[in-house]
Amino acid sequence: MAAAIALPQDPPSSVSTKFLRLLPGLALLFAIGFAGKLLEKNINAYAKGHHLAVPNIEYVLWAILIGLVISNVFGLAEIFKPGVATYEFWLKAGIVLLGSRFLLGDVWKLGGVSLLLVAIEIAGSLAFMTFLGQAFGLRPKLTTLLAVGSAVCGVSAIIATKGAIDADEQDSSFAIAAILALGAIALFTFPLIGHALHLSDHAYGVWAGLAVDNTAEAAAAGALYSDAAAKLAILTKTTRNALIGFVVLGYAIHWARKGEAHAVGHKAAFLWQKFPKFVLGFLLISLLATVGFFTKVQNTALANLSRWAFLLTFAGVGLRTNFREMRKQGLRPFVVGFIGEIAIALFTLVLVIVTGHLFGF
Amino acid sequence: MSEQPQAERKSTPEFSLDTWAVLVALFAAALIRFGLIPRVPW
Repeated sequence: MAAAIALPQDPPSSVSTKFLRLLPGLALLFAIGFAGKLLEKNINAYAKGHHLAVPNIEYVLWAILIGLVISNVFGLAEIFKPGVATYEFWLKAGIVLLGSRFLLGDVWKLGGVSLLLVAIEIAGSLAFMTFLGQAFGLRPKLTTLLAVGSAVCGVSAIIATKGAIDADEQDSSFAIAAILALGAIALFTFPLIGHALHLSDHAYGVWAGLAVDNTAEAAAAGALYSDAAAKLAILTKTTRNALIGFVVLGYAIHWARKGEAHAVGHKAAFLWQKFPKFVLGFLLISLLATVGFFTKVQNTALANLSRWAFLLTFAGVGLRTNFREMRKQGLRPFVVGFIGEIAIALFTLVLVIVTGHLFGF
Repeated sequence: MSEQPQAERKSTPEFSLDTWAVLVALFAAALIRFGLIPRVPW
């Protein structure tokens, strides 16, 4: 009976209180995202009306920039923080809904090529980041966290690995700050490099999905290039995310063997626990779209709903990025991450260009 | 059963953020599929 004794629960009213606490931040995400959308529309209309040659700046960039200014110039008030933190929820819901834009055959074909590239990227990134961490004398567990963060999927991978290898709070804060700072840099540099190299939407999308670490930043970097590139970036990044369990399991076993982490009990249960469930949701919606469960109008509605979810996500990316907080974490993990990310970006760029020639994209 | 101590009642299962995102997205897809949300403007 002892197992049936539950810990004291929050009073029933706490659910509504929790929901109410989300509202200011949610309203801020929506206001910023919508302001970005209005800016894109109105600036384009003004330029067209006055025959001005103004580059089209997508709502994605506006939303991120407005968020960055609020976060870094004015600071984010406490009241907004719970709601702003939901941006990752909207990202995952958006990815599930985006499944309607992929027929399962395309997922199989594109995902197959992506899987091969992702496997090469993960192996290369883990090896290189581990070498760099050792060369710069970083603590071994910090090196592991940075390696996993840059090889697999950013912050989620670092959090998953932290628990599995018993890393301390300080190491995970260092690694998260470095990965977020580098993600912010990638957001602005990747589209410029892509345009300078005249990469196709397909090649650029795969590159962004392979080389940008955090899913939100990868989606934003893709969307800053084109809608088609965003789709490919998300598909490739989702393939990377799907492999998180295997990488974390490998490191958990490695550190447990050294006697510096708890042993892994049931490996299949461990893999399932770490597996990102939104990948299954994405595949389910894709399957339903493939068998004609949705009409064309409904498919468009699902795609638009996914765009609204991403709009909230992109506003959150800007609001969440605080350079002052990142600077507090110290320079060395950032330098290791920076050198590693440049190497990974170049390596994956060559990989994508070579594969593009072979597979014709 | 109504006299069962509160401490022994089973709590509702805790879903991860991932699972909630999937459930909400599937619910929204069902609303669209069955005509409760006829269109979503962009």
